Amino acid sequence: MRHAVSPLLLEAAESDERFLVLSGDHGYELFDALRTHHPDRFVNVGVAEQSMIGIAAGLCQTGFRPCVYGLASFVPIRVLEQVKMDLCFGSLPVVILGDGAGLVYSVLGASHQCGEDVACLRPLPHIAIYSPCDAHELRACWIEARGNSTPSYLRIGKSHPDDIHPGAVQGTSPKIVHEATPGSSTAVIVATGAMVRSGLSFARAHGLRCISVPRLKPAPLDLIPLLGDAERVAVIEEHASSGGLWSLVLEMLQAAGTNRSLRVEAFGLRTMFTATAGDHQHALGEHDLGDEQLARRLAAWLGATGAPSP
Amino acid sequence: MFEPRTLRRHIVDLASHGRSAHLGCALSLVEICAALYGGVMRYDRQDPAAPDRDLLVLSKGHGVMALYACFCDLGWITDGDVRAYLGNGTRLRGLCESDVPGCEVSSGSLGHGLPVAVGMAYGLARLQSDRRVWCIVGDGEMNEGSMWEAMLFAAHHSLDKLTVIVDANGFQAMGRTDEVLSTEPLVAKFEAFGFAAVECDGHDLPALTAALTPHDGPRHAPRAVIARTVKGHGLSFAADDNRWHYTRLDDATRAAALEELR
Ligand SMILES: Cc1ncc(C[n+]2csc(CCOP(=O)(O)OP(=O)(O)O)c2C)c(N)n1
Repeated sequence: MRHAVSPLLLEAAESDERFLVLSGDHGYELFDALRTHHPDRFVNVGVAEQSMIGIAAGLCQTGFRPCVYGLASFVPIRVLEQVKMDLCFGSLPVVILGDGAGLVYSVLGASHQCGEDVACLRPLPHIAIYSPCDAHELRACWIEARGNSTPSYLRIGKSHPDDIHPGAVQGTSPKIVHEATPGSSTAVIVATGAMVRSGLSFARAHGLRCISVPRLKPAPLDLIPLLGDAERVAVIEEHASSGGLWSLVLEMLQAAGTNRSLRVEAFGLRTMFTATAGDHQHALGEHDLGDEQLARRLAAWLGATGAPSP
Repeated sequence: MFEPRTLRRHIVDLASHGRSAHLGCALSLVEICAALYGGVMRYDRQDPAAPDRDLLVLSKGHGVMALYACFCDLGWITDGDVRAYLGNGTRLRGLCESDVPGCEVSSGSLGHGLPVAVGMAYGLARLQSDRRVWCIVGDGEMNEGSMWEAMLFAAHHSLDKLTVIVDANGFQAMGRTDEVLSTEPLVAKFEAFGFAAVECDGHDLPALTAALTPHDGPRHAPRAVIARTVKGHGLSFAADDNRWHYTRLDDATRAAALEELR
């Protein structure tokens, strides 16, 4: 998915003379194409993330349409108050790219891992939040974010080589990425970002419906009808369940007044720092979310639904 | 102990076993760490948590392999730790984290270490302790506003047991500091902020040791030593080449590095 960012930046620079990219001394090859073709559209503001948000706000107020790039740990986490006051309060159309979200930087430890960005941003007024699962969703989210008249945050997590969707997707509503085998089960998998891949592979193996949720705010209310008559929902995300998609699903169900028995199970990051070094799968493993553990936990969850396992 | 060539060899071993980035970032720190651990700093070689030790805060936490190299010499890190560096389930992370004995502050996010070091110096001053606080920062890290806020506080409270050491290698992540966001003139800036600041060759161990060693008597001002260094120093293929901020050693470069450090 990450490879898809660079062409989006280039296209935006070519189609919109107000477009600028700001980075806090980070990003390297992500900006190579932009810097080669439009060096004047890239501004390295230095290792100064807080100022960077204020600078983006000022640029916005003088007619520019900046995109701000950082690691999710720094942008938006380190700069949360600047996002709140400099961007959200004035409803300024700045697009924030938060890279490496989740446990991508597994060997670099707690400072570079980020499982709290969505939870921190969700209560802020005016900001839209996107969590694409592949290059196609990324493009759809980017187009929508660039069209928003308010701030937007794009969460870029672990980049897996293969796309989920077979081709371009329209809009940012929840998307069924795998349909249930008729009559197979009353369990549904809901996932966002990099974790759609894991949800999809389990859904395929067990004939379940799997839904990807690329836009988390404004609330994706059209998810609720897609749950059909499900009795159990598993929510998978590389983010803390509390405050993330799991919370969001529960809140939407409550608000919709769905008065039937529906259990919503959390498969997200635990509220803890990873304790040891290792690769991405190892870090997920500390949260019981590694590929194997997740498959085992989902199997146990599915077994408990009483659905037949193939 | 703390012979720069040996320390650099430890760094190359760590970087190659761990397939780690940040080789150049650690190499510029070697003499600074050698001077501190080699005599300037008060600590207990047997006990990284000795209660009366000076506190060393590596604010540019991505240079942590230079600290680990000293810990290798001290026996705080074993050959096994080095061989397993960054492997699944191991305790040493690629950035400075305070759950590793000898690492006082978690500082992978830039602009955190100095404020914490200032808090330590302030706390120790309130306790009328004679323990010192040493804080190593990057010249690119000086982009962060939190650094300058902390400097104001340090000078305002006359924290004379605090020494800030700037690893002034002239680079940051994406380019030369002068081209990205200049932080010079560092000596004048530290002086203007109320520090007693000096400058020296950051690879000249005796000069560094002299610059770092505190003079007797109260000074009523925090100190700054601007160590003029070369990113990647000690390996001819990496010296002053910022690709070694993120490039990983392969078999060929590892062999070349070990040959040069023999
Ligand atoms: C808050 C924060 N922003 C960005 C980074 C990513 N980063 C790591 S090292 C670095 C450059 C730091 O420059 P400097 O302090 O001069 O270190 P050196 O060049 O000596 O490695 C950056 C931007 C980070 N670790 N923390």
